[in-house]
Amino acid sequence: MTSLIILSGSPSVTSRTGALSDHLATRLRGDGHTASVVRVRDLPAEPLLHADSTHPKIAEVADAIAGAHGVVVASPVYKAAYSGVLKLLLDLLPQFALAGKVVLPVVTGGTPAHVLAIDYALRPVLSSLGADHIVPGWFVLDRHVEPLPGDARLDQRAAEDLYPIVDAFSEVVRGRHALAVA
Amino acid sequence: MTTIMAISAGLSQPSSTRMLADRLAAEVKADHTETVELREYAHDITDHLLTRFANARLRPVLRRLADADGLILVTPVFTASFSGLFKSFLDIVEPDALQGKPVLIGATGGTERHSLVLEHALRPVLTYLRAVVLPTAVYAASADWGNDTDLSRRIARAAGELAAEVARRPAVGRVDPFADPVPFTDLLADISGRTDHD
Repeated sequence: MTSLIILSGSPSVTSRTGALSDHLATRLRGDGHTASVVRVRDLPAEPLLHADSTHPKIAEVADAIAGAHGVVVASPVYKAAYSGVLKLLLDLLPQFALAGKVVLPVVTGGTPAHVLAIDYALRPVLSSLGADHIVPGWFVLDRHVEPLPGDARLDQRAAEDLYPIVDAFSEVVRGRHALAVA
Repeated sequence: MTTIMAISAGLSQPSSTRMLADRLAAEVKADHTETVELREYAHDITDHLLTRFANARLRPVLRRLADADGLILVTPVFTASFSGLFKSFLDIVEPDALQGKPVLIGATGGTERHSLVLEHALRPVLTYLRAVVLPTAVYAASADWGNDTDLSRRIARAAGELAAEVARRPAVGRVDPFADPVPFTDLLADISGRTDHD
């Protein structure tokens, strides 16, 4: 069984990034993985802001990431980049926290003009965390995500674009795991 | 007298990159404006890359670039970055030619999805060259042409920033090595004082 972590980097409680993360978790579970969503906003603010990686809640997330085969990193676009809240968590992880893992970057934003935030802003950070394989990511427009309790409804065309990306990620995770246990 | 040089790295003819460069240049309303298409100098730029020497066609362009009070640099987006011709041109520009020079950057592409090329690819290179890159960069997607988008507003804002920055700086002007000669009598006096022929 392959385990996945979905990091949701939105500070907002009614976040489309968060809703999309729940939706992706459901889809990935349906594809045979275990998947859990970590919302950075639910972690205690004090250790995040003071870079206290020894705090039990932070250590718990770091351990979960260490044990995962794949990580989805989801962030809203803020000021043409990933959110500061996401970076707070990433900064607390060990230097090569993503080593040996498959990583899927997913970004939500209000305008397609910010699509390249994935490749120019987020991807280098994931690389520096030692990610083995960062699969092609995807940008989802805010207005294409309708938050539901514990899930999201996606615009049909957005879903048609996003699902193949997510399924490709799922395949890569499974393939690498199969190789590792063989 | 202010001079603005617009550089277009567009390859096609007609070129939307050229069109954006011209629109920006016209909006700056300088005393003298010139648009250069790099495609006309592609061979010369390549020669320079190989020989490290600007040929007679390229030299005047590089000189006018160094003498301009402000620059407008516009590139098409190729594989999510500036074009190779654009970068090749920056590669042959003298390292200090852009130092302190106000530069307006622009890019064109088929889709607005590549807008951030300006912020993530162009701006850092020009910062490295110590140019003064203006805050507003202008991206024009195919959909911006002939439609009622806010492209005109962005062009006006960016051109206004360039005009203001150029206006508040002293004119660059070229230093003429012959403008302040040593008087001939001084030269003669210098010779007459010498004793090595005695």
